[in-house]
Amino acid sequence: MMSKLNKVMMLGTVFMATAGTAQADEALFGYLRGAETLPKGANEVVQHLTRRWDKGMGEYTAYDSKTELEHGFTDRFTGAAYLLGQAVKSQGLQIDGYIPADINTGMQLSGVELSAKYNFLSPAKDDFGLAAYVSGAYKRLDRTSGQKKDAYQVEAWLLAQKNFLDDQLVWVGNVGLESTYAVRLPIAGANLTEEQWPTTPEMEIGILAGTGLSYRVAPNWFVGAEMMYDSEYETQVGRERWSVQAGPNVHYGAKDWWFTATWLPQLAGGGFETYPGQTDTSLHLIEKTKQEFRVKVGFNF
Amino acid sequence: MSNYDRWLMVPALIIPAVASAPAYAVQYMNVEQAQKVLFPAAEGFEARTIQLTAEQKSAIEASSGVRVRVAEIKAWRAIQGGKPSGWFLLDEVYGKHEFITYAVALGMDGAVKGVEILDYRETHGSEVNNAKWRAQFTGKKAGDTLKLDEDIKNISGATLSCKHLTDGVKRLLATYATVLK
Repeated sequence: MMSKLNKVMMLGTVFMATAGTAQADEALFGYLRGAETLPKGANEVVQHLTRRWDKGMGEYTAYDSKTELEHGFTDRFTGAAYLLGQAVKSQGLQIDGYIPADINTGMQLSGVELSAKYNFLSPAKDDFGLAAYVSGAYKRLDRTSGQKKDAYQVEAWLLAQKNFLDDQLVWVGNVGLESTYAVRLPIAGANLTEEQWPTTPEMEIGILAGTGLSYRVAPNWFVGAEMMYDSEYETQVGRERWSVQAGPNVHYGAKDWWFTATWLPQLAGGGFETYPGQTDTSLHLIEKTKQEFRVKVGFNF
Repeated sequence: MSNYDRWLMVPALIIPAVASAPAYAVQYMNVEQAQKVLFPAAEGFEARTIQLTAEQKSAIEASSGVRVRVAEIKAWRAIQGGKPSGWFLLDEVYGKHEFITYAVALGMDGAVKGVEILDYRETHGSEVNNAKWRAQFTGKKAGDTLKLDEDIKNISGATLSCKHLTDGVKRLLATYATVLK
């Protein structure tokens, strides 16, 4: 785990030293998306790293890695491909159907993703920005338990953006629909019942919405806050879970690279069930954690 | 090493990179050089710094639709053959992260004679210094549209610089019509 993280960081440092000049399409937010697209012919590599930790019992820490290559096909249409990775360490917490066993995986390749973003209205030119974003992903690992699970996921988002004060203050609003088909794979050597680790296919629909503000506080520096509502529905139980996360973010944009960091703790949550022994029942802690922190570093070329 | 220690590697790598990031400033010309370029036949310039009143600010904002961020107008009257031949206005607008310092020359009829970029500190979008792009402003007067993708072409990848300079010229034309005419 340590050596792999080191490698990711070193790779980033090498990129910083070698990236060429280009126009930036900087992400001011860690979790939300703005309505702008890359200029035609521009490229961007973005490394996302998210830490999720604390389920209120035992020891739980997970890292999600996302390595993104983005290309501006036209001024309005941007496409991207992603390599997904994850590491899950969970000890002293077993939840039927979600976390069947203690695990410490280290960083592993967990999936691939493709996305497309189309800009209808530019926040800089049209006073109000609007874009559509769609993505499709295949994932081979379960982000909660770290166990093997085949999942096919599509997302569709509407992204709104309004700039104020000579574009120094940026508001974004996102609404999204997420649809997932997933099958958990049997765990070799483990004698688990269908209740502990169901291996029948499942379908889930997620409704997500978020909003945030970012303000230029000094040359190259933006500081803001963002909030994300995340919910999941399935046939048997209706709304299986919901959560609201919110927190501060900071963004720095340099000549040909930028970074954004966001702390997004869960403020409220709930759903169909809590895990046995869960003490903090004002949060959803089965699939979500109490804490999340994300760093994104982008390089333009 | 704990997870917290591992996580601290992120800022530990980013902060030195930020601290060592050089400033990207290009000074194309100073005020005197810009005055010479925009009014080559002028024999002198009379400085006329103007402090806008609240009413004047409101009037400029109402007629241009652009926010007046600074109340002080840095203006020079160009003198040619002992008579005023136009106005040289020095201004600053935001690019994306940094200020762009530019100058607008107005003829005695209030129309734009030329626009020059003096300092460009932005990391991107320096294409706004392209003479062909700046020439789009020549002849513009107070009340003209001055809007990106309409009478002023945008430069892809430099949208914010294009927009803020276009708004800046529009604001200066409204300033001329309100307090300099």
